[in-house]
Amino acid sequence: MIPIEYFLALSGILFIIGVLGVLSKRNAIVVLMSIELILNAANINFVTFSAYYGGLNGVVFALIAIAIAAAEVAIGLAIIMNLYKTRDTVSLDEVNLLRW
Amino acid sequence: MTFAEYAWLIPILPLIAFVIIGLLGNRLFKKWDGGAPIAIGMAAISLILSLIVAYEALTGDGTPFVQSLEWVVVQGGDFAFTFNMGIYIDNLTALMLIVVSIVSTLVVIYSLGYMGEEGGRKRRYYAVISLFISVMLGLVLASNFLQMFIFWELVGLCSYLLIGFWNTRPSAASAAKKAFLVTRIGDIMFMAGLFILFVGFKGNLDFDYIFNNLDSFVGGDSLLTLSTLMLFGGAVGKSAQFPLHDWLPDAMEGPTTVSALIHAATMVKAGVYLVARSYPIMVKTPDTLMVVAIIGGFTALFAATMALNNTNIKRVLAYSTISQLGYMFLALGAGGYIFTKTLDPNVGYMSGAFHLMNHAFFKALLFLSAGAVIHAAHTEDMRLMGGLSKKMKITSLVMLIGCLSIAGIPPFSGFWSKDLILAAVYEGVSISPIFTVLYAMGLVTAFLTAFYMFRLWFMTFSGTPRDKKIHDHAHEAPASMWVPLAILALFAFGSGFAYLFGLNTAIVPYGVFSMEYASAGTLLVNMFTDSLTYASIIVAIIGIALAYLMYEKKTIDPARFTSGAVGGTLSNILLARYGFTKAYDWFGLRIVYGVAKVVDFIDRKIIDGLINGISAGLIRSGSFLRRAQTGFVQSYAAVVVAGVSLIVILLFLMGGVI
Repeated sequence: MIPIEYFLALSGILFIIGVLGVLSKRNAIVVLMSIELILNAANINFVTFSAYYGGLNGVVFALIAIAIAAAEVAIGLAIIMNLYKTRDTVSLDEVNLLRW
Repeated sequence: MTFAEYAWLIPILPLIAFVIIGLLGNRLFKKWDGGAPIAIGMAAISLILSLIVAYEALTGDGTPFVQSLEWVVVQGGDFAFTFNMGIYIDNLTALMLIVVSIVSTLVVIYSLGYMGEEGGRKRRYYAVISLFISVMLGLVLASNFLQMFIFWELVGLCSYLLIGFWNTRPSAASAAKKAFLVTRIGDIMFMAGLFILFVGFKGNLDFDYIFNNLDSFVGGDSLLTLSTLMLFGGAVGKSAQFPLHDWLPDAMEGPTTVSALIHAATMVKAGVYLVARSYPIMVKTPDTLMVVAIIGGFTALFAATMALNNTNIKRVLAYSTISQLGYMFLALGAGGYIFTKTLDPNVGYMSGAFHLMNHAFFKALLFLSAGAVIHAAHTEDMRLMGGLSKKMKITSLVMLIGCLSIAGIPPFSGFWSKDLILAAVYEGVSISPIFTVLYAMGLVTAFLTAFYMFRLWFMTFSGTPRDKKIHDHAHEAPASMWVPLAILALFAFGSGFAYLFGLNTAIVPYGVFSMEYASAGTLLVNMFTDSLTYASIIVAIIGIALAYLMYEKKTIDPARFTSGAVGGTLSNILLARYGFTKAYDWFGLRIVYGVAKVVDFIDRKIIDGLINGISAGLIRSGSFLRRAQTGFVQSYAAVVVAGVSLIVILLFLMGGVI
C-alpha cells in the first residue's frame, strides 16, 4: 500500500501551487483554475483519510465539494464574462474600482 | 380656620386670568378692552378672598396655618429629602395679602384709563400683569424657601416683561435687561443661602420645620450667618438696596402703572418680605442683622440725596422708594439686633412691616397720581409742568395726601411707621454707637424726604405754568383713574391708624417674641410724650418749609445750590447717580466681558481644541489606514493567506489542537 505521506505531499503541493496561482496570476480565469486546484487538494485529503481510516464520510464530502466547485465555477465564469463584456478585460490588475 | 383652606385659590385666580387673556386670540379681546374685565374680575375675587383669609388670620391666635402637598420626594437613607408645595399663613402673610391684593386690584382698574390708548398691546399688558399679581400672591403664601424662590424668580421675570413693555424703545429694552441682570446677582446669593439651609437642615426647607427646629442646624453659627447674609443678599438685589440699587430708577421706562405695582406691591416688597419672613433665623445671627441695618440706613440716606435735584417726576419717586425700602431694612435689622442683645421685645419688626404696608399705599398713590399727571401733560419733566392744580384738582389733592404721608406729618400713615422705625433705632443707641449714626441717617433722610416730595408737588402743581401748551392740554383724569386714586388716598391717610388698633400685637415674629397688648390711648400717650416724635415731625416740617420757600415763594433761589464750583459738581454727581450707572457699565464691560473672554478662550481653544484634536487625529489615521483597501483582489487574498498561515504557525508553536 502506498504510504499516506505521499498522498498528503501531493495534496500539499497542489494546494501550494493553487495558492501561488491565486496570488500571482493576473488573468481571472487562471485564478479561477487555481482555486479549483486548492479545492481538489482538499478533496484528495478527504479521499485519502477516508481510504485509510475506513468509512465513507470523506468520500461523500469530496463528492459534495466537487458539486459545489462546479456551481462555483459556473458563477465565477459568469462574473468573468460580465467583467469582460463591460470592461473589455479579464486582467485583475485593471479591476480596482472598489478601493480607497 | 375654614377659609384659609381655600387660600390656594388666591394666586390661582389671577393665573387663570393670565391663561385666558394670554392664550385666547387677539380678536376676541378687541371689543373687551384687551381682556381688562377678566383681569380686574379675577384680581377682585382674589382680593375678597385675601381679605377674608387675612381677617381670619389676624383675628386668630397667631399660630401659622400650614397646608402642604408633597412635590418632590427623594428617598435614600441619609440623603432623603422632600420638597413641598403649600401655603403658610401667619400675620405677616395676612398683612402682605392685604397690601398686595388691594394695591394690585386698584392698579389694574386704574390701567383701564391709563393704558386705554395702547390698542393691540393691551392684551399682553393685562396678561402679564395678571401673572405678576398671581406670582406675588404665590410668593407671600409660599410655605417653604424653595417655593418662595420659584415665585421670586417669576416675579423677576414679570417685572422684566413689564418694564420692557414698550419693547420697541431701546431705552425700555435695556432698562428691562438691567433690572433682570442686576436682580439676578441677588437671586444667585439667595440661591446660595438656600443651599446652605438645605444642607444645614437636612433637606427640609419648610418654614414650619426650620422655625421650630433652628437648633438642629448642622454647620455652626458662622455658616448660619453666611446663609442669612446670602438671603439678605437676595433681598438687596430685589429691593434695590445699595449697591444693587441702580436698576430701579431705570425701571421707570415701563408704564407708570407697572412702576406703581413694582414699587408698591410686588417686586421690591419681596425683598423686605424675605427678610421679615426669615426673621426667626435672622435673630440667631446678629451680625447679619447689623449688616441689614447698616445697608438699610445707608441706602435710605444715599437714595434720598439723589432725589433732591432730579427733574423727572417718576425718577424722584423711584429714589424715594429705594430710600423708604432702606427704612424698612433699617427697622428690621436694628430691631432684630437690639432684640438679640437685650432679649426684650421691640417694635423693629413690626415697624418695618408696618412701613411696608403704609409705603405700599402712599407710594401706589403717588405713582398713580404721577401717572395721571403724565397722562395729562404727556411729559415726565417737572420743569415743563407747574400750575397744574387748577386743571387737575382731584389729582393734586390726592397727591398732596401722598406727599404728607411720605413726609411723615401726623396723622397721615407714613408718620406712624416712620416714627416707630426711628424710635426702634434709637433704642439701640445705648448698645452701640453705630445706632447713633443710623438714627442720625434716618432723621436726615426724613428731612430730605419731606423736602424732595414737596419740591415735586410744588413744581408740578403750584405756581405759574411754565409750558403754556402743556398746561392748556392738561385735563383731569377719567373716572377709572381718579376713583382708584381716591381709594388709595383714603388708605394712605388712614392705614397708619392700624397701629392703634391691634397691629402692634398682631405683627410679631411668631415664636420669637410677642408684644404686650396696649390700648390705643396708651400708645398715643407713649408716642406723644416722647421727644423723638417731635424731632421727626420738626425735621419733616423744616423740609416742607424749605421746599415751600424755594419752589413756591421763590425767596431762596434753587439755582444757588446748583451753581458755583462746589454746588455744580455736587449737583452733577447726584444727577450721575454717584457714577453708579457708569460703574455698572464699567463692571459689565471690563470685568464681566473680561471674564467672558477668558471663558471663551478656555471653551474655544482648550476644550474645543481637545475635542477637535482628537477627531482630527482619528481622521488622519483613518486616511492613512484606508490605503490598505487597495481594490486588488489578490492583495486581499494575500492578507487572508498570511492570516491563515499565521494561525497555523501559532497553533504549531503553542501546541494547540494539533
